[in-house]
Amino acid sequence: MSRVLTKEKLNVVNTPVEKVDGKALVRGKPVFTDDFDLPNALTVKILRSPHAHAIIKSIDTSAAMIEGVACILTYKDVPHVIYTRAGQGYPEPSPYDTFILDKKVRYVGDAVAIIAAENENIAERAMKLIKVDYEILPAVLDYEHAQDPDAPVIHNEPEISGAYDPKHNIASHYEMEIGNVEEELKKCDYTVDEVYYTPNQSHAMMETHAAISYFDPNGRLTVITSTQVPFHARRILNRLFGVNCRVIKPRIGGGFGGKQALHVEPYVVAVTLKTGRPAKCVYTREETMTASNTRHAMRFRVRAGAMKDGTLKAIELWGLSNTGAYGEHALTVFMVAGSKTLPLYNKVKAVKFGGDVVYSNTEPAGAFRGYGAPQGMFALDSALDELARKIGMDPITFKLKNSIREGETSPIFKIMGEGREGVEQIIRSCKIEECAIEGAKIFNWYEKIKKPRIDMKNKIAHGYGVAFAMQGSSIPAIDMGGATLKMNDDGTFNLLVGATDLGTGSDTILAQIAAEVLHTTVDKITVYSSDTDITPFDKGAYASSTTYVSGNAVKSAAEKMKKEILKAASELFEKPVELLDLEEDKVVCEDGRSISFSELQTKLFYTFNQRQLEVTESFVSEVAPPPYLVSFAEVEIDMETGKVKVVDFLNYIDCGVTINPVLARGQVEGASAQGIGMALFEDHIMDRNGRLITDDFFTYKIPARGDIGKIEVRFAKSYEPTGPFGAKSVSEIGLDTPGPAIANAIYDALGIRMRRLPIRSEELFFEIRKKYG
Amino acid sequence: MLNIKEYVKPDTVQSAYEIGQVPNSLYVSGGLMVSQIKSERLERLIDLKSLDLDYIREEEEYFKIGANTKLSSLISHPSFSSLGEDFVKKSIKEIGSVQIRNMATVGGSIAFRLGWSDVITIFMTIGSQVEIYNGKFQKMDLEDFISQKIKGAIITEITVPKIEGKCIFEKFAKSNFDIATLNLGLRVSLDGNFIKEARIVAGSRPMISQRIREVEEFVTGKEIDKISDEASKLIQKVIQTGTDLRASAEYRKALSGSLLSKALRRVTQ
Amino acid sequence: MKVNIKINDRNYSIEIEPGEMLLETLRKLGYKGVKHACSTASCGACTVQIDGKPVLSCSTFTAAVDGHEVKTVEGFSNEGVLSEIQKAILEEGASQCGFCIPGLVVTAEALLKENPDPNQEEIIEYLKGNLCRCTGYESQTRAIMKAAKARRER
Repeated sequence: MSRVLTKEKLNVVNTPVEKVDGKALVRGKPVFTDDFDLPNALTVKILRSPHAHAIIKSIDTSAAMIEGVACILTYKDVPHVIYTRAGQGYPEPSPYDTFILDKKVRYVGDAVAIIAAENENIAERAMKLIKVDYEILPAVLDYEHAQDPDAPVIHNEPEISGAYDPKHNIASHYEMEIGNVEEELKKCDYTVDEVYYTPNQSHAMMETHAAISYFDPNGRLTVITSTQVPFHARRILNRLFGVNCRVIKPRIGGGFGGKQALHVEPYVVAVTLKTGRPAKCVYTREETMTASNTRHAMRFRVRAGAMKDGTLKAIELWGLSNTGAYGEHALTVFMVAGSKTLPLYNKVKAVKFGGDVVYSNTEPAGAFRGYGAPQGMFALDSALDELARKIGMDPITFKLKNSIREGETSPIFKIMGEGREGVEQIIRSCKIEECAIEGAKIFNWYEKIKKPRIDMKNKIAHGYGVAFAMQGSSIPAIDMGGATLKMNDDGTFNLLVGATDLGTGSDTILAQIAAEVLHTTVDKITVYSSDTDITPFDKGAYASSTTYVSGNAVKSAAEKMKKEILKAASELFEKPVELLDLEEDKVVCEDGRSISFSELQTKLFYTFNQRQLEVTESFVSEVAPPPYLVSFAEVEIDMETGKVKVVDFLNYIDCGVTINPVLARGQVEGASAQGIGMALFEDHIMDRNGRLITDDFFTYKIPARGDIGKIEVRFAKSYEPTGPFGAKSVSEIGLDTPGPAIANAIYDALGIRMRRLPIRSEELFFEIRKKYG
Repeated sequence: MLNIKEYVKPDTVQSAYEIGQVPNSLYVSGGLMVSQIKSERLERLIDLKSLDLDYIREEEEYFKIGANTKLSSLISHPSFSSLGEDFVKKSIKEIGSVQIRNMATVGGSIAFRLGWSDVITIFMTIGSQVEIYNGKFQKMDLEDFISQKIKGAIITEITVPKIEGKCIFEKFAKSNFDIATLNLGLRVSLDGNFIKEARIVAGSRPMISQRIREVEEFVTGKEIDKISDEASKLIQKVIQTGTDLRASAEYRKALSGSLLSKALRRVTQ
Repeated sequence: MKVNIKINDRNYSIEIEPGEMLLETLRKLGYKGVKHACSTASCGACTVQIDGKPVLSCSTFTAAVDGHEVKTVEGFSNEGVLSEIQKAILEEGASQCGFCIPGLVVTAEALLKENPDPNQEEIIEYLKGNLCRCTGYESQTRAIMKAAKARRER
């Protein structure tokens, strides 16, 4: 893999260092939550509602208190504190509309009782013996009917706060307009006005939700949990139970946003507080599928207009989002559908965005990689593709002509932030032209589109699609991350970060950043991450922020450590700091003397100006520099069955300098696969009563090996001045393009426009039959 | 974990059968299906592995396959796997994954009479007989076996004739690691360009595999490269299909037509 | 009931429940590399080898393994020396969260034993029962190709 040219001479950053936790992972070492066995631990199971909407008239646990059951907790036994499970900064932009357990259940799978027993078998037997009498209420199963006049009200609890209009099932509402879309559209030569749908999607991380809680020998409540947000989890648990605790994040078996919320933690903590005993709860796959979070399903009506010459004049995205039973991330995910898509086309005269986020009696939606951008971008990019076709312009040319450039801005950056106003920013790195133009060359776009699309003899069609995307890097003025560096007398460093590696490799890239600044190597940096009693605060792993925010925090901590080292050495050598520098694990002096880090810290420990070298720095972003991506898809469609195969998927991405090119490539490849899953495979199907029937990996098909053709990743030569060593984010953006690129490719192949994801072979087949017989 | 009382491993078919008559007992061979069972009443599993039914014997006109033979053994057996011009090898490979084929047995795959079974479609396509034990040994056509419920019987052996002609297996599934939305087996023997004899089996309709005799009769005696369209239309008309989470009945009908014409094309390719 | 099982070359004589699955037994014995991710024989994370063949331990009754030999991921790197497959997985970034990796290692070891020089298609076919949500599979295919080459050159 070729290294990217950068403005600095780099030794560690921008090299493919192996993951610091990799050896343990490939050997199957016990590093995940469920791998920890605590003596005397209780097994916790959750009784869940079989009804989509009901009131618990009575609940009788007496028959279930069989031998081996330690406790059964219902809504009467746990603190009645309203909160949001969303793991966000405080105060959270999500409404407070959830209790640990409530008298009312709002979807099939909602928690009814917590059972703690000596083992799983007893807990499951006891669960069946709990008698619950429900008053079944009418339910809203289709979010497009959540605002019907006769729709039942899902949140009528008096304690609710922060929801927009719960009496009409509206969790959040947002709207903004710049210029006058209506007027601009009238002046346009060509317009589109279409409606697009994106589905619920399950995170399907391989490790299900899991947590353990216990009192440590000194009586401190400790929670080991598979979370993306350990510090938010601690804060929220404290608020719920009024107890301080320590939250430890071990290795995480994938999260993708699904673990940016509290799921299991309140249940195990409630049991430990009640019984004094360790408690462990590991969700089944079915629970993870049905009773955690999904991607917000959205509907967008897009109106857009352009002139004959391809100048885009106006865009309107008007949406409806399904937040399910609770409003986790309701407003913020919806806003991102606009705020991280629309600035890409910053040259329009008028732009409008808005709509409602509604409650329904379905599984709560939450954060999911992309965080609204894949939903918004499917609608926007598809519509622009349609517009380009109407004008008769190549979609690459059309999208590129109207997209943002270095040195430019968009008023949307200031208007739309994270559930509130955002911050102004001038784009300082944007290589979207390289992405589009060089990408088209590598993909052979202009050669390919000359070929005939349909092979009638073999009933196979080929099509080519392109999609553009942007994302952000962190939530500016909100996200904060801290880093501590400590030097040891063996010449190594401890890097303590709150940043949360959930499989992404952030521990590794943060170690690379520290090693680069300190002129050492990654093996000399031991990383401890995400232990709320030990590491400094970090917002957690979300919003494409770790490389940018935590990376900048580590960089500035390392720079401060460098100063401390030089200062100590200058005292020792009795030479001014200006004559000293770091070089390969030592301090070198202009006069030829040198001292290794190990010798220096040893002297500082025992014999000279005694002290521990240790620094802590924090970083808050002022801007959120977007990465950019242009993706090219080639699809092969079996016209006899409607089956679509993505045979080639090329990503050309500007994510600034890659701290670790191999890990960065993996982020893009993985996001593409999840996006292909969302576009073609993953389907939430409910029965008439609102029960999800695609509730396991047998029925909910994430793409398997062989379902995906070639995924390729190329990095643009880019440098973000505000990022650590020129880096921007890379983890989320890859999910924004597969949906539109595939739909555009299908249109290119067959002239059939699919405006609803997932694109089911069945639906496409009948469209093909209609058109081609 | 299944909450059962005992796991027994009898070493004769007779004793296995006897234990099988005790209520709340279930036979287990590969274990794949049984482990998914959430029956509260189940008390006893009867492991058939000690019955010595893991073999593929080649005789002059037949292959005899022990019921406990793993699907992976079918692929690795040199002569059986090449039956029907590599039909066995190619079709069995479309089932599950390496792990699943190392676990699932021929007998187990048939015994559960699952609608989506590829194994049943494949063995019906090559024309198989099932030997069962239910107090006595008896043989019947696989097609008859799946259409009737014989309580407590143990499948002991499958007999497959050394058929002539070419067989094709077509499977449509959403993912390449997935059960079929519809599967179809075709066997034809040709006389020049003319179809001398044909067998067409469709499964995962989502109901259990079935021979589509009207279409078999229709194509017999006709030129293979000329009947694809008409045969495809006919099968869509006569096949019975249903709706489930994977597809609608209507789509399955359409798929049957598509898979049949694909199969017919592949015969001559 | 009592069973005798050899696990990673060590003999065990253990008391089990009649309905116990091999996955549960192995994890109880401390082989935590065997992962529980789906319960429906759909993901491959629990893959172990029985008598050299990859199977799903979530759907294998421990009672049925009496007298057989089991190998888990823990049995494929001696004293911390990584196998070629494990090394290649690290080099190619083919392990992100790492939860599917033990199952992948166990399956890929069997693949390379059966077929020391697999092409891309054969790798994908052999490993298709091992789901991964992080990588999009590309890096894993590259890793197995690389490991196969390293093994052939050993």
